[in-house]
Amino acid sequence: MRFQRFPKFRSSLLSRYLIIVLAALLFVPVVIPISFLTSWLVNNTVINDKKQEENGHIVQRSYLTDNWHTAAKQLANASPDQIDQKLRKFKQKYPFASVFWVDHSGMTRLQLPPGRQPAKWSSDDAIQYMKANTGNRDLFAVVAFIGDKPGMKQGFMAIEIPEEYFVQNQITTSNISLFAITLLLLFAFFAGMSYLFFRGIRRRLLTLESAMHAPGEDGLPMKIHTGRADEIGLLEQSFNYMIDQLGDSRRREQEEERLRKRLISNMSHDLRTPLTVIGSHLYSLKKEPLTDQGKQSLALMQDKMSDLDHLIDHLLSYNLLTSGKYAIHRKPQDVLRIVRESAAAWYTLWEKEGLSPDINLEGEPLIWNVDEQAFRRVLDNLFQNIVRHAGSGGYIGLDTEMHHGHPALIITDRGPGMQADSSGKGAGLGLSIVQLLLKEMALGLEIESNGQGTLMRIRPLNP
Amino acid sequence: MAIHILYIEDDTEIGSWVSKDLKDRGYEVLWLKSGEGAVEAAADCHLVILDVMLPGLDGFTVGQRVKRNSPELPILMLSARSSIDDKLQGLQFADDYLTKPFHPDELAARIEVLVRRSGSLGGKPLEIGHLRVFERENRLESKETGSEIILTGKQFQIFMYLIRHLGQVMTKEQIYEAVWGEPYLDGDKTLMVHIRYLREKIELDPAAPQIIETIRGIGYRVKA
Repeated sequence: MRFQRFPKFRSSLLSRYLIIVLAALLFVPVVIPISFLTSWLVNNTVINDKKQEENGHIVQRSYLTDNWHTAAKQLANASPDQIDQKLRKFKQKYPFASVFWVDHSGMTRLQLPPGRQPAKWSSDDAIQYMKANTGNRDLFAVVAFIGDKPGMKQGFMAIEIPEEYFVQNQITTSNISLFAITLLLLFAFFAGMSYLFFRGIRRRLLTLESAMHAPGEDGLPMKIHTGRADEIGLLEQSFNYMIDQLGDSRRREQEEERLRKRLISNMSHDLRTPLTVIGSHLYSLKKEPLTDQGKQSLALMQDKMSDLDHLIDHLLSYNLLTSGKYAIHRKPQDVLRIVRESAAAWYTLWEKEGLSPDINLEGEPLIWNVDEQAFRRVLDNLFQNIVRHAGSGGYIGLDTEMHHGHPALIITDRGPGMQADSSGKGAGLGLSIVQLLLKEMALGLEIESNGQGTLMRIRPLNP
Repeated sequence: MAIHILYIEDDTEIGSWVSKDLKDRGYEVLWLKSGEGAVEAAADCHLVILDVMLPGLDGFTVGQRVKRNSPELPILMLSARSSIDDKLQGLQFADDYLTKPFHPDELAARIEVLVRRSGSLGGKPLEIGHLRVFERENRLESKETGSEIILTGKQFQIFMYLIRHLGQVMTKEQIYEAVWGEPYLDGDKTLMVHIRYLREKIELDPAAPQIIETIRGIGYRVKA
């Protein structure tokens, strides 16, 4: 299987990230004008419609002013009646407005609604009126000479409209908040997109990470579903490829292990079969009448045969162990329970050999990370050693003790000690196997031995 | 009625020696040199002794076939293959696994246990101390008075478990988990209480038990 080194640009994470960065760069020059535009559009359509709905009219200052001056111009040389008529029309059009006109002599002629202006205008009144209107923010007034020129001597006409009827042209607070909301929305959209982009990446990375941790049935991580063909997609493909490779090598290893085990099994068989035949003849011989010398030789032969039997066992185990083909599956478990079960199995033999067991394994479970079979093997070898070399002590003790603050398992005997020359002494293979097995389980064995006995301490190397 | 044993072994020397020894001990032995015809022959037997390395079909295959045909029939594997894997594979269907070389007394002892456990001895009761145990009828009586001793369900299960492993020391965990069928976390007290009541019923002197022996620091044992 071959892989692309790099994903296609279009599908790569890089391109998608660039899009987001580009969006971020365009944020100021594009998004801000867009938000202005949006707020303006919303203002002109939604808000104006709303105002019109409320008042029935919209008045624009410039439009009104123009209209008023046009009307004044049209009224040049018109009769007072015509002027009245025109003003009434205006009043009709803008019912909320007040209109009036004053003739050249200063007399107020038509006033709608009536009574608000002086009947006879002095020059003081005129100035007063102009002043009042300039300072007045609530009322917008347009004043025009009739005929729209001062020289026509026809007087002037005025229209007043309350400020509230005008379209608001300047930016109001509501406009500002609208703009801010638009900006905020756009920013949220941008932030959301970035978040989604990174969340997608993060999720796929986490999936990959958890896939590496969670082993499937065969103890290897499970293959994962490959998503998009971007960088992570390639990583996922490579991951699956790696799993395949691991599986292959695991299968090869298992095959090798199987072959090796079969070889060992066959060797064991081939060595033991003649041994069994010899044993059977020794047994038959024992039933024959023999001299004391003959019986002694027979007993010795039987003893040596049993040694040989153990030796074969040890040799084969040692071979498996040193070649790393002895499968050790550690899991945390109570070793005291294993010790008790092992001791229970050995108990009858101990009694037969005249060893009195002293077992003090009550109390809290001692949880170590061990392989049960391997740990049993360790105990078997140690117990066997005691039976064969320390039987004379007549004692075997199983205990736990605190050693530098951590619990340790103690096996004691009262034999002649390890230095003593024992008749059953072999090449020390049994002890080597113990050491190897314990090392595999991160346990250590310490031996303190003197002429009065031996103490063996098993404890975790890194508690 | 004599116990019939089917013995499958390809090695002539070992085969003739073992069959002779077993015949001397009073068993009827049918010795086959390969797995051929083993399934048929096994039908009339009380026990099968099986070697692993055989010409043709290997012992594991033969054993599985025999077991499938007669699930109640005890099988003892007698093999020169001593690795733990072989033992585990064998014990998947076999009732016991003995490695060569072996002492004929050990073989005989194991045969006795298997035959007794399978109930092939007929109604022959087992005598332990002052007790007479009828395993098949789940009955227990006193040898002296002949009266039945009534045990509660759990007491009986504990006692029978120890009887099935006669002469073997069993740990408290093993007994508890076999009888209660649940993990031994703090079953210590429960088991102790049951053993105490059990002893009150079966022991002549519960303060100095003779039948169920306490093995200090490990568990209990019923001696043969």
